[in-house]
Amino acid sequence: MYGYVRPVKGELKVAEFERFRGVYCGLCHELARRYGFLSRFLVNYDFTFLAMLLAGPEPAETCPRRCAAHPIRPTVCLESCESLRTAADMTVVLGWWKLADGAQDGHGAKALGYKIACRALRGAYRKAAARRSDFAGAVEDNLRQLQALEEARCASLDQAADKFASILRSIGGGEPTEDRRRITGELLYHLGRIIYILDAVDDLSEDIASDSYNPLRYRFQPADGRLTAEDERTLRAGMQLSHNAISGAFALLGDNPYSGILTNIIYLGIPAATQAVFAGTWNAGAKLHRERSSL
Amino acid sequence: MNDPYSVLGVSPSASDEEVKRAYRDLARKYHPDNYHDNPLADLASEKMKEINEAYDAITKSREQGGGGQSYSYGGGAYQSQGAGQRQYTGSNAQYVQIRNLINANNLAQAESMLNAISDHDAEWYYLMGSVYWRRGWMDQASQLFRTAATMEPGNVEYRNAVQYMNQGGQAYRPASGMDMMGGDAACNLCQNLICADCCCEMVGGNLIPCIGCR
Repeated sequence: MYGYVRPVKGELKVAEFERFRGVYCGLCHELARRYGFLSRFLVNYDFTFLAMLLAGPEPAETCPRRCAAHPIRPTVCLESCESLRTAADMTVVLGWWKLADGAQDGHGAKALGYKIACRALRGAYRKAAARRSDFAGAVEDNLRQLQALEEARCASLDQAADKFASILRSIGGGEPTEDRRRITGELLYHLGRIIYILDAVDDLSEDIASDSYNPLRYRFQPADGRLTAEDERTLRAGMQLSHNAISGAFALLGDNPYSGILTNIIYLGIPAATQAVFAGTWNAGAKLHRERSSL
Repeated sequence: MNDPYSVLGVSPSASDEEVKRAYRDLARKYHPDNYHDNPLADLASEKMKEINEAYDAITKSREQGGGGQSYSYGGGAYQSQGAGQRQYTGSNAQYVQIRNLINANNLAQAESMLNAISDHDAEWYYLMGSVYWRRGWMDQASQLFRTAATMEPGNVEYRNAVQYMNQGGQAYRPASGMDMMGGDAACNLCQNLICADCCCEMVGGNLIPCIGCR
């Protein structure tokens, strides 16, 4: 989706890395099983994180599998389980909306590409939306509200970020107990906030050049396509507060087989991605490249 | 109650030192200061209570059973303070009521009461900031706190809130963890402590003596 929510690979133990790859590959296979070959292109790190976050305390079954990306040596994939099915359904729902958004906002060949992808995945989307009607409803509502805010050139960063954050929070609604719904909802709300803000920082210079909406343009006074040092400090202090909220919620979730990897993602991966986005070294090209080559 | 050893995540054969370390790590993680004005504060304080009880149960049983292992460490564990215990003696009855609503997490009603007030003084901005803060709207909260502090520069409560936000608050972080501000976590530790102390005082507690007494 965005790819900001990923581990710092060098800090993972070998066994952890393999387990992480098992979830990523397992998610990809689950997408193919549930929604056909094309939906595999929607697999991403953010929902791999989600599959790990929602996993139960017991280790799930694994099975070696080959695929087009790993034709010779099979990867040890996570077998179909509840958290993987949830992550796959939500990947399709949110992924499809993102394509639809791209088709509407883009121009020329790019928009056409999005349109074709959107059309091709419509069946998959309908199936996923029927399975997760609450989530699909939350996505549609919040994206519609976000669009209205964009048109009004909303200058409140919190209000704009709240829409995407609320989409992620709604995922917590599927958790089995009230406490877990609160904890997961809080964690995902602030994760969504951070993702939204990172995306805004990442796209700032592009959005200024094309005169597109970006909340940072109206909340701050960027010069030469960048935030001033003072504004950056203010923004990052606010992101730290959201990160603190993630920490607080994460500490209250019990351990599961992925706790080590989740700890890496939260305390190293997200700060590292933030660092790269603010340093301007996280550009769209590199993003795609990393996504494809590191697993 | 659950087995106190499994609550602390140590084996019953662990040394006193190991038990103490496990307890301290967990207490650091679930300390009320990490959940300052946090919607999950109640869950954290339950967890803290469980950890305190487990630790007390272990030290007690060891004192009774294994002679000579007496603890000078006792005197109760980290005390939960903060959420819900805010002492406030303001002159404006309406603001007192709004503060109580905020502390009870009844944000919608607190906000509508604030919106009904037309005269916006420093405290109004501060309380509105608190509503936004609880909701997770950190950016707006910090702007409102700043407005309050500018209108009434002498007010310690407002100034501390601004400082707390500027520093990026306080949270548990594993030793190797990084922060979002681009700095080294350890460098900010002292600052955070001082700052957390201010903030603790903001809700009627006091962190530094609270660590010092341990």
